[in-house]
Amino acid sequence: MHIAEGFLPPLHAAAWTAISLPFVIFSARRVTRLMHDQPQTKLLLAASGAFAFVLSALKLPSVTGSCSHATGAGLGAILFGPSVMALLGTIVLLFQALLLAHGGLTTLGANVFSMAIVGPWVAYGLLRGTQNLNAPLAVSVFLAAMLGDMATYTVTAGQLALAFPDPASGVAGSFIKFIGVFAPTQLPLAVVEGLLTVVIVNFLREYSSDELQRLKFLPEILTAEARL
Amino acid sequence: MQAIDHYAWTNRWRNRHPLEKLLPALTLLLLTLVLPPLRIGPLALAGTTLATVGGAGIPLKTVLGVLAAPAAFLLAGIPFLAISLSFNDGFSLHFSPDGLQLALETSVRALAAVGCLSFLTLTTPMADLIPLVRRAGVPAGIIELILLIYRLIFVFAERALTGRQAQAARLGYSRFDRGLRSTGLLAGNLFQRALARARRLEIGLAARGYAGDLKVLQLEWPLSWPRLALAMTLVGLTGLASGWI
Repeated sequence: MHIAEGFLPPLHAAAWTAISLPFVIFSARRVTRLMHDQPQTKLLLAASGAFAFVLSALKLPSVTGSCSHATGAGLGAILFGPSVMALLGTIVLLFQALLLAHGGLTTLGANVFSMAIVGPWVAYGLLRGTQNLNAPLAVSVFLAAMLGDMATYTVTAGQLALAFPDPASGVAGSFIKFIGVFAPTQLPLAVVEGLLTVVIVNFLREYSSDELQRLKFLPEILTAEARL
Repeated sequence: MQAIDHYAWTNRWRNRHPLEKLLPALTLLLLTLVLPPLRIGPLALAGTTLATVGGAGIPLKTVLGVLAAPAAFLLAGIPFLAISLSFNDGFSLHFSPDGLQLALETSVRALAAVGCLSFLTLTTPMADLIPLVRRAGVPAGIIELILLIYRLIFVFAERALTGRQAQAARLGYSRFDRGLRSTGLLAGNLFQRALARARRLEIGLAARGYAGDLKVLQLEWPLSWPRLALAMTLVGLTGLASGWI
């Protein structure tokens, strides 16, 4: 769920931009170093970024029949790791704002924080954590993608609650309201995205393990022997 | 997406220097955020629509289509700003006039802001805009990465569309579980092809002596100071006029 252009009051928009900026700069430094050491990384990252954009524009089959979209943050974090995702996610969000009018320039910072920083880190942490507990890969991937999505929506609800506190019950009441809107609509979506990510990861492990090995920043989990 | 990009490359103001469009659009965007929304909002929306339709010659229908995109977000959010939740006596929901005022202000502000943004994206191709951010201190490598992504998005979008049609023709979306599987296979396939595409680009560029930067000719348009000054004056007048009403 992208926060629309101009929806956040100016101070909030500026604050979220300031919070996201260090993460994106750190990520940009890392990516610049990667591209410097190996020039061909640039093409790989470009293809991955374009893929992430197209993935986010693919309509998901939805239970209610409404049209809904994947965030791709979980898959991105699994494939590239969260420190690269901060930059790639920012670029994808920028293109979504400019080419699709989803999100916006002033709310870019807030959207980057929820979708390109918190979502990927939660997904990556869960993937690593559950793998250390020897969970089957499919379970790990499902949990990572689904809860990464949920984390994103929770952060978005929190951002909206901080910006628009309820006149009677303050930020807490407002947070409950926004979570109340998101839960019924986004929870099924998160489950669908979790399942979808499992299908994608299984497909890639089966048919393109050679290519996967070329992703230097890829966690070894995916290329290691199957533990299904 | 295709529509926005199509008009960006073909509109009447395509050959103007991108700064002449970027600077006024961003200034107006800032003004709509800072000034009281109910005053500046309608003025800004009218101004940007006039410039987009009357000036750049983009059909009104397309502009409305772009403005409709965030409408879903507004529709979802607005009722919840107008309804207040209270814990005082147990748990109660009631309508709040202050909340309604806030909801109205927020939607007007968001629509006006989208108006500014859509003026910019409908009149200026991304390929013209992105090099401008180099002056803001973004490293050259990152800018190349962004431009490459811009190019590849359209290549992959076409493939995704073709793939989905092929799957749909084979009843790949006839049931929910099939749809889920088809989408997963499509995405996985797309990723595989993206990697293959990256590798082909790599080989092709290596054969041409690629050593880390892509050298491309950037079209340069002359910057017209009078036009820029006129646009900024109009934006400034819009800001001042909002104080009057």
